[in-house]
Amino acid sequence: MNEIALDCRGLLCPLPVYQASRAINRLLPGQVLRVECTDPGSLADFPALARQRGLTLVSAEERDGVQMFRLRRELAA
Amino acid sequence: MSILDTAVGWLRYGEPAEGSAPAGRPGPNGSRPRLQTDPARRRYRDVRELIAGVHNPTPLVRLNRVGPAGAEGYLKLEWFNPFGSIKDRTALYLLEGMRRRGELAGRELVEPTSGNTGIALAALAALEGIPLTVTIPSGAPQEKITLLRMLGATVMATPDDLCPVDNPSDGAIALARAVADSPAHRGRYAMPNQYANPDNVRAHYETTGPEIWEQTEGRVRTFVAGFGTCGTISGVGRFLKERDPSIRVVAVEPQKGHHLPGLKNLQEAKAPAILDRSVLDDVVRVDDGPAYAMARRLFREEGLIVGPSSGAIVAAMARLDGASAGLTVGISPDGGHKYASFYAERLEEEGSG
Repeated sequence: MNEIALDCRGLLCPLPVYQASRAINRLLPGQVLRVECTDPGSLADFPALARQRGLTLVSAEERDGVQMFRLRRELAA
Repeated sequence: MSILDTAVGWLRYGEPAEGSAPAGRPGPNGSRPRLQTDPARRRYRDVRELIAGVHNPTPLVRLNRVGPAGAEGYLKLEWFNPFGSIKDRTALYLLEGMRRRGELAGRELVEPTSGNTGIALAALAALEGIPLTVTIPSGAPQEKITLLRMLGATVMATPDDLCPVDNPSDGAIALARAVADSPAHRGRYAMPNQYANPDNVRAHYETTGPEIWEQTEGRVRTFVAGFGTCGTISGVGRFLKERDPSIRVVAVEPQKGHHLPGLKNLQEAKAPAILDRSVLDDVVRVDDGPAYAMARRLFREEGLIVGPSSGAIVAAMARLDGASAGLTVGISPDGGHKYASFYAERLEEEGSG
């Protein structure tokens, strides 16, 4: 499984970041974490979280009030 | 039966055991049951009865080698509470208030705490089968986290850099709030919220304050406690000021970025809603160094195994001018056992083993 899904819809800030952070701890190189959330704070939080944890923000999109972020742990160089 | 009833239950110890006769019925000779106040004959129905109150006060112990020069100094040893800290009083009142208002029915609890409130809430909640989640700030000692887990609480550690954008220093509070308020949780969690709940202040207004008044026979002139949730300083302060407005109330504030669990620097953390500044006469800043140095003196010179915040509070007491301070009472919020790992580090740093 190369993509792990995390449903944070209906969770208020900072719970999405808290849960994503724990999921990132278990993320293997090459794996992608896909997070769906509805808290508006996430728009700023997830790009910052990706930088902070050294992950690549593969995509960030919003549809019908749901934001979806995909963060990848790159293979070690 | 409410938990507050059980908390003062030992007063009714002379009665038949619960269930064998209606509580409070007249005795065989028509008299009310005798109050059992002889400590040598005291038994407890339940650990909750050990939580301090006016008829079961925590000890007030004279400081003979540290404390205000030229005045009587006493430390109120809150670790004599059954779950180990002053927060036993708070937790009891918080839960009882929520029960009275119907906020507990079928719900779980979530609370931000540096540990002691969590430990007391976890023990009380365990007795009643209520699940508890605790959000705990980074830097809380491992011992406290272990105790919370032993009591069956779910522990959410809140790293300092949890919110990568604005890094609030009160991340544990924000996280607990989010657990309580998130629509996805559908109101499953109730948050006692010791920082904003007037029952926290009431616990100290009704127990800690009157205990100090009784134990000093009204001679207390100065009261010293820390800024934390501010329940103690606000509740005891209000009680003492009502008795005698000239009693001086001194708050102890740690430095920014301090390592004194339970205390708060109100420049870096938001002032709790329950803080009543009208009862404060002075705020004394005590940095980590002097606080830990005083904790060590309390261990070595007074035989008092206190937590770090007690060191800060007694360090502030020692700076008072004894002649104007008069009989001074400080709070020792908890004991030292939970901080063995903290103290080990300090001993290492100071190289004095």
